Amino acid sequence: MKRALLLPMLFALVLASGLAAAPTQITFWTNFTPPFSDYLQKMVDAYNASQSAVQAKLVQVPGSETDISKLMTAVRGGTGPDVYMLDRFTTAERAAAGVLTDLSPFIKKSEPKLADSYLPFAWAESQFQGKTFSLPFDTDTRALYYRADLLKAAGVDVSVLDPKNGPITIDQLKAIAAKYDKKDASGEYTQLGFVPQYNQGWHYTWGFAYGGKFADLKAGKVTPTDPGVVAGFQFLYDWSKNLGPQKVSTFLSTFNPPNVPPEQEMLVTGKVAMCVTGDWYIANMAQYAPNADYGVTYIPVPKKGDKPSTWAGGWSFCVPQGAKNAAAGFDFCKWMAGPVGQKMYVQLSSHLPTIKALMDDKSLFSGKHEFFRQTLAFASSRPALPVGGLYWDALTAAQNDVTDNVALPKDALAKVIDKVQPQLNKFLPLQ
Amino acid sequence: MTRTERRNLRNGLLFISPWIFGFIAFQVYPILYSLRLSFSEYSGFGVPAFTGLANFKQMFADDLFWKSAYNTLYYTALAVPIGVVVALAIAIAMNQKVREVAIYRAILYIPSILPIFALSFVWVVFLNPRYGLFNAFWHIFGLPMVDWIGNPAWTKLSIVLMAQLGAGGPALIFLAALRGIPKEILESAEIDGAGTAKKFFRITLPLITPVILYDIILGLSMGLQVFTQAYILSSGAAGTTTAGPRNSLLFYVFYLYKSAFQYTQMGYAAALSWILFLVSVLLALLIFRWSKSWVHYDIS
Amino acid sequence: MEGQSVGHSRILPRIFLAVMCLVYIMPFFQMITTSLKSSTELMQIPPTVFAVHPVWKNYLDAINYIPFGRFLANSLIITAAVTVGAVLSNSLIAYGFSKIQWKGREVVFYIALATMFIPFPVTIVALFDIFAKLHWVNTFLPIIVPAFFGQAFYIFLMRQFLLGLPQELSDAAFIDGANELQIFRRIILPLMKPSIAVVAIFAGVNAWNDFLTPLLYLQNEQLYPLSIGLQFFRSEHNVAYSLLMAASTLVVLPVIVIFLCFQRFFVEGATVGSLKG
Repeated sequence: MKRALLLPMLFALVLASGLAAAPTQITFWTNFTPPFSDYLQKMVDAYNASQSAVQAKLVQVPGSETDISKLMTAVRGGTGPDVYMLDRFTTAERAAAGVLTDLSPFIKKSEPKLADSYLPFAWAESQFQGKTFSLPFDTDTRALYYRADLLKAAGVDVSVLDPKNGPITIDQLKAIAAKYDKKDASGEYTQLGFVPQYNQGWHYTWGFAYGGKFADLKAGKVTPTDPGVVAGFQFLYDWSKNLGPQKVSTFLSTFNPPNVPPEQEMLVTGKVAMCVTGDWYIANMAQYAPNADYGVTYIPVPKKGDKPSTWAGGWSFCVPQGAKNAAAGFDFCKWMAGPVGQKMYVQLSSHLPTIKALMDDKSLFSGKHEFFRQTLAFASSRPALPVGGLYWDALTAAQNDVTDNVALPKDALAKVIDKVQPQLNKFLPLQ
Repeated sequence: MTRTERRNLRNGLLFISPWIFGFIAFQVYPILYSLRLSFSEYSGFGVPAFTGLANFKQMFADDLFWKSAYNTLYYTALAVPIGVVVALAIAIAMNQKVREVAIYRAILYIPSILPIFALSFVWVVFLNPRYGLFNAFWHIFGLPMVDWIGNPAWTKLSIVLMAQLGAGGPALIFLAALRGIPKEILESAEIDGAGTAKKFFRITLPLITPVILYDIILGLSMGLQVFTQAYILSSGAAGTTTAGPRNSLLFYVFYLYKSAFQYTQMGYAAALSWILFLVSVLLALLIFRWSKSWVHYDIS
Repeated sequence: MEGQSVGHSRILPRIFLAVMCLVYIMPFFQMITTSLKSSTELMQIPPTVFAVHPVWKNYLDAINYIPFGRFLANSLIITAAVTVGAVLSNSLIAYGFSKIQWKGREVVFYIALATMFIPFPVTIVALFDIFAKLHWVNTFLPIIVPAFFGQAFYIFLMRQFLLGLPQELSDAAFIDGANELQIFRRIILPLMKPSIAVVAIFAGVNAWNDFLTPLLYLQNEQLYPLSIGLQFFRSEHNVAYSLLMAASTLVVLPVIVIFLCFQRFFVEGATVGSLKG
């Protein structure tokens, strides 16, 4: 009797172990290009080598942070990937649209306290209606870059800008910038000390600098007319007014046209002496202006003694709806966005991590990156709204009207509410 | 129906049968689907929620709808006539009985096939307010410097001008038409003493009116659906910039595309597309009606 | 007298041509000079007109930056197939819409024309659904197959041409006992050479440069055409400009070559001539 059962049992065992041994294949889409896609590939290889249950394949898909036509159509058609790299800020928006899989059940099962290992502002961006829809990956913050060499030549005492002295005030910024402004015979600017709306000088940047709040998530309202935001816009308005909005516009068209080659960007060529941009710019400066003597410091504050501000963006990993291997996809996300994956990425790319433990690991940061690491401590993030993209575009349109001096801050920002709030109302309550 | 009529009907339908099939398979379904969507709220996932005329109400209150409609109509009103004239001029140039004409033809045609990135890059350099060749040219005539890139009042015109670099394509169509004019007619006119101008206006032009109409309708459809330039020029880093200074280059179809795939408001996008579709067809019908007075078919 | 008018009429068009060519060669010229510039030279403002020290290596780098050979092969396959489909289908369809008088023809034609005005973003989702159900996603089929079913642009164009051909030609053959298909093949088609050339060039070039359709339907890097390949030169905060221009130049060259070959079709016009009676 036993003998008769042995063979089928053996067979079943072999079959089962054979099935168990076959790794789950998952596809992972990213729109990163070299060299960053190369870094990701290294990480994917490391993941695949570290275990045999799941084998991931990286597929490069051209696209952008905001255009997900490819992902959407693919997911609808049942041909979507298992894992997707998502601009973290758009998580709430994509979750609201139904594009993403809720990761909370997976988290509960494998690591209920996962939230604790991430920086709070990053984790907040990955939430929608109390559920987690993406895992934070890297982040980036903004700061004030200044060309010490060019400013010195213009007679500025650059020691004032040293971050050891804390942030400079807006008034100090004004004074320093004025020393660098130059016009030519026709009255057009050939160089400017500072153009606040250039590069990363966005509405969020200055709104946060003036202590503004952009949304009240509990009440389900966007708050662009918050006094801090209005003050930030007023700063932009006044700065343009002082220089002459038409002239600033022409200056930007001349030296910062659309799709300008990185070699010709204004901080690299010295057309501006200071600008607000992100930590990634360290690499740009190294490549295109290796001999420039420059520094990074806090974004200027309204009054002496104010706390410095910045905001952070970055990417995340998510599992789109209809993924054929959601559980395996989650496992991959957890690794890539986890301490091992993030450490690898930080070392390869010099970007910033979103895992608390890594933030304190000083060995990962050198030179100017160390400064950016510090800024993570007080970085804000943009509110996780299901209308995030719409809000951003409306704020940008308002910002343009303000910097061109064709609208006053309060009026321009009131229009933003008219445009965005009705759309937001469709998703209430948010929490 | 007579036997001839029946036979002709059968033959006619047979010849166009590939189109019929494609129309039903690839166009009827999407059009009807989008009509249904235009009355719904839909993110692209889940089930569309019927909301009646809500999208249309939203449209009329939406300042970007009006702005993009204005931008598009303005652009089209400029681009179509200018396009026809330039394409015809280039076609005439391509038709000259000069030995090296093959080279000229190729040169005039090349910009129309350049990848759009390359073309926009060139355009931006050309139109640089201080260093661009365009303003340098302008300057020779004593005209003031124009900020083609940054001044909302001039940006659409700059795109119209850039589009003329692509006139090589439509020019080929005109060239084919010019080539299609029987030599005998032109020769007999010459014998009768007609000069170049007379030959052109009395014979050539009337004979190519069917193709001029085609170019107008083509220009109309391409103008109303202008999209790629805005798409390329708005791919800024870390979020989007506005489409051109103060949204002066926010064209209708680009706004539609953003609504569909960035804001995931597919119902709204469908409503936008139906309005565009209806307006376009109306304009096209008007143009066809008008064309009956000046188009000559079937030279006999 | 004859000689005089000929000589006079040669100079004016030549000047006109030269000026126009100067303007029109500019973009291509700019593309090539940028492709040959080193990174340092790109930094020059105002930009230099000629690449001072041409970096020919940029072309090599461009080819190695992306899987150029594979992308090229894919582009060729797609373009060839689309061109064939466009020429075949549209000539047949245009003939049906112009050379045969049948009841309701004009109405159906206007419907076909109306489809030219459907904005594409809205058809994307529904079309993708169809192709997904057919399991054609991640193949070339969604890009190639529709070309075999005609396109309003080309139908309209060819129809306009055909309407300009005298009906006597077909009538004469009909009287001689030919049926529609024979008339189409033997008489009309040869006369359509210029418009066939135009459709072939348009359809081919559009297929070569089209990146939105492949972007949506292709999910495997092995299948990407060159038009998508160009996108890879742009990354989040950086554009490899000289390489992008070098790659763009390489992408454009085959089209120029094919154009030079096809343009002889324009030389042979649709000469009506020799019609007895």
